[in-house]
Amino acid sequence: MSERSEQLREKAKRAGRPRLSVVWMIYAREMMDQLRDRRTLFTIAVLPILLYPLVGMLLMQIAQFTQQHPTSICIVGTDHLIGDVPPLVKTETFVDGLTDNDERLELLCYTWNGVGRHDGVLNQAKNVKETTNNWVRDGIFDAVLVIPPKFADPQARSSDQEASMQLLYNVASDQSMVARDRLTGILSKWQSGWVRQRLETTGIDISLLAPFKLADIDIAPERTREAAFWSKLLPFIMLVWAMTGAFYPAIDLVAGEKERGTLETLLCSPALRSEIVWGKLGAVTTFSMMTAILNAGSMLVTSSFVFKQMGVGGGQVGSPPMVPMLWLLVALVPLSALFSALALAVAAMARSSKEGQYYLMPLMMVTLPLVLLPMLPGTTLTAGTSLIPVTGMFLMVRSLVEGQYAHALMYLPIVAAVTAGCLWLAVTWARRQFEDEAVLFGGGDQWELSQWVRHLWRDRQRAATPTQAFSCGAIILVALFFGKLVVTEMPTTFAGIAKLVMMPQIGMILAPTLMMATVLTTSLKHSLRIRLSNPLTLPIAVVFGICLHPTYVMLAGLVSYAYPISEQATAAMKPFTDQISSAPLMSVIFLMAVVPAICEELAFRGFIFGGLVRNRGKLRAIFVTAIMFGISHGVLQQSICATFMGLLLGYLALKTGSVLPGILIHMTNNTLSVSLERIAQSTHPAAQALVSSTGGGPEYNLVWVIASVAIASMCLFYFIRLPSVDEDAKADLVGNEEEFADPTAALSPA
Amino acid sequence: MIHVQHLTKTYDDLSRGKFVAVDRISFSVQPGEIFGLLGPNGAGKTTVLRILSTVLSSTSGIATVAGFDVSADPAEVRKRIGFVSNNTAIYDRMTAWEMVEYFGRLHGMPKKELTDRVETLFEQLRMNEFRDTPGAKMSTGMKQKVSIARAMVHDPPVLIFDEATLGLDVLVARNLLSVIRDLRESGKCLIFSTHIMSEVERLCDRIAIMHRGKILDSGTLSELRSRHSENDFEELFFGLLSNHESAENNELAHDVGAGI
Ligand SMILES: Nc1ncnc2c1ncn2[C@@H]1O[C@H](COP(=O)(O)OP(=O)(O)O)[C@@H](O)[C@H]1O
Ligand SMILES: [Mg+2]
Repeated sequence: MSERSEQLREKAKRAGRPRLSVVWMIYAREMMDQLRDRRTLFTIAVLPILLYPLVGMLLMQIAQFTQQHPTSICIVGTDHLIGDVPPLVKTETFVDGLTDNDERLELLCYTWNGVGRHDGVLNQAKNVKETTNNWVRDGIFDAVLVIPPKFADPQARSSDQEASMQLLYNVASDQSMVARDRLTGILSKWQSGWVRQRLETTGIDISLLAPFKLADIDIAPERTREAAFWSKLLPFIMLVWAMTGAFYPAIDLVAGEKERGTLETLLCSPALRSEIVWGKLGAVTTFSMMTAILNAGSMLVTSSFVFKQMGVGGGQVGSPPMVPMLWLLVALVPLSALFSALALAVAAMARSSKEGQYYLMPLMMVTLPLVLLPMLPGTTLTAGTSLIPVTGMFLMVRSLVEGQYAHALMYLPIVAAVTAGCLWLAVTWARRQFEDEAVLFGGGDQWELSQWVRHLWRDRQRAATPTQAFSCGAIILVALFFGKLVVTEMPTTFAGIAKLVMMPQIGMILAPTLMMATVLTTSLKHSLRIRLSNPLTLPIAVVFGICLHPTYVMLAGLVSYAYPISEQATAAMKPFTDQISSAPLMSVIFLMAVVPAICEELAFRGFIFGGLVRNRGKLRAIFVTAIMFGISHGVLQQSICATFMGLLLGYLALKTGSVLPGILIHMTNNTLSVSLERIAQSTHPAAQALVSSTGGGPEYNLVWVIASVAIASMCLFYFIRLPSVDEDAKADLVGNEEEFADPTAALSPA
Repeated sequence: MIHVQHLTKTYDDLSRGKFVAVDRISFSVQPGEIFGLLGPNGAGKTTVLRILSTVLSSTSGIATVAGFDVSADPAEVRKRIGFVSNNTAIYDRMTAWEMVEYFGRLHGMPKKELTDRVETLFEQLRMNEFRDTPGAKMSTGMKQKVSIARAMVHDPPVLIFDEATLGLDVLVARNLLSVIRDLRESGKCLIFSTHIMSEVERLCDRIAIMHRGKILDSGTLSELRSRHSENDFEELFFGLLSNHESAENNELAHDVGAGI
């Protein structure tokens, strides 16, 4: 039996290896097929080549239109500029030296009485006010400067409200705002000239007015300044197009072929599923890259031309530096491949092109934030951001384009690892989709609510299905999100805090889990993975929990160093931490350790894990539960720590086949976290040997840290050595990879 | 050439739960023989033939094609079969020639041999008038010919036809049947599924009548006739079907009665 399975494994391995020649044949055919499609050609090649120049031309037209429209200003009451007032206007222009360099300025001057109707001096003020208001509102002038009669009186001028000049403008009009800015500039120049003149007449040295001079100089080399603009915009454009460029071919090559029936023709040919996936993935990636390059290139060329013509940005934008942009191409390859693999996997679920388009929208919504994030001001390449998929790559390319090679190189390993990991996951997903006959030949019948409900009830199984597990996780996360919105302020009593903790734990994590486990599965105990196959795991879990805590504290320290916690957040949490540190220890442990450990573990390492681990989803179960567990913590720093913790807990859940060790570790860990300070303050010799109180809070002693790491490693080793006892993972296996990897696993009694 | 034993396939279906589409069927087909799988729509014919062509995997039971197990050696099986079904369409944006040649290349045929083979096939099936017509512009009959050429390009010992005459006019259908007869003469092993009785009567050496996932009876035409003492094949077919249905319904009623 085992000899036969050994042979089978060898054979399957040999047979399952994709042959490059076949992959190439499929790739070439898919490429040719797409290139023969007029629609594809239009969207990837013709559209960008035409679109950008057209938009550019339009922009130039509009720009010309706005440029030809000069700023128009009116001054009313020029006859009041008398006496010691220095000259402001000549006929129809401002006096030399006051105006800015911009020629496009129209000035019209009226005397006080030159405006509107003349029915008596008394009413003239009102008359002027009305008329000038109308002028500005109707856009006859962009701005109007009114000089009232009292201005002529040197005494009143500086003190009387009624003597003040009035600048009328309209904030709703951009033109008017420009006019206002220009006019204010002119007036302030005029004013300082006046001050200068006065001081001179009184014999004061005017150099006193300016004790120093300031010259601001941008030291960034020419290239960086231009690159800064383009290095932000261009990757964004490229990524968005890489995404859209992947979507449409992916839909056509999978969902479209399913619809047209050609996929089955290919499936019954000697080509392996893996070869089909690689061939199609290659074609989609090529199209994604071509779309991105053509669009970005066309935009680059057009806009540099347009900007030069328009002289926008005072040469700051300028034409983009071409050579550094080549870095973009390097980054484009993996990102296009990533988007393509995702699009293929998603498109495989659809039965027709139309359905595929519905599916890709959510995918776009999920990926878009990763592309938008680097566009936010102040986002730079750091240890934190380099860990984020797509974003990290984007930021690294930006550094490269800006010529900060050393900086970029420093983060290259992280970014490369993250990108490679994501790519691997996406490709694996796509491959699995193509091996899943439910995905490829899914029933064509209509979905009906009542039928579905009946199906859920009738086909209940002992544990959750993967879909149910995903739904449970989604329900919990959404409930937590809305629960958070409800909490508006931190309670100040312990009872209030207890409510604050219990409500999400019991109402939003435990309740949905228990409800789904009761209704959707036949065995509550089994679906929550409450079982004990090896009693020794429990005490070892407690020891592990204790010895893991110093490492956990270190991890938390590292995380808050990489992503510092804002002072506001600390301040907001203050009432909470204060209450916790003053409440009775037992209640705190119950609230912060026992309740969360039970609720969260039953949900994440119980129901959800049990569902995800099925159908050879071991890795999926570990990673997805860890990420969900992380997100459920809400605060970024906690989320990161929790995700790491979740990975470990997930691994143990897999090895022990039970939720119980996880609960114990989780409980121990939280207990230590909330009571560490008290342990540090205690006079018990054991406590003092392990923990000491420092200014920055309690700290583990170095000796114990080292010892604990050693013991924790031993515990971990114990768990690694445990034979896999996961029934759920095995339940529905027929000759899968894991069985090949460990032929005896399937033979040992479950 | 083809051996099927206790083959079972269940689908996870939303409305019917675990649905048994093929229920422990067994049959075998020899070279130089046309085996007819006759059954109404939904009998499970397509499911059986998809399992034989390794596109679907079976739930239990054994199926071997040309000595290779369909679940253990799917790649070897696919090298030795040609599968034509109304679900295996041809590419819209490829010409007849390109299409047939592409699948020949996927089979790893050397270039020279492949060109000769495609020439012969095009001659044999009289496809030369539309060798450069793209799939989108072909008539149903032309498409069917391309599909057959595609399935035959590597000269497989086993050919599987799943309702291949569906949607063809009488002329084209007749032509197809004569092609299949020629294939039998050259010693191929053929499976032919249909819901049209006359085709089976005229073409097949042995027949299995399938209904609701089960094979109700199988044998040569004369065997069936004498066993059920019914000369009219149509009567025979409907008799078997209705007997089976009433038996199944009785069983169901019995189950329900026992439950209460
Ligand atoms: N992918 C699928 N999912 C669920 N049920 C299916 C699927 N494919 C076929 N069936 C069901 O299996 C039964 C047999 O189908 P099929 O083999 O296509 O029959 P036939 O080819 O004889 O008409 C039908 O009742 C059909 O509804
Ligand atoms: Mg059918």
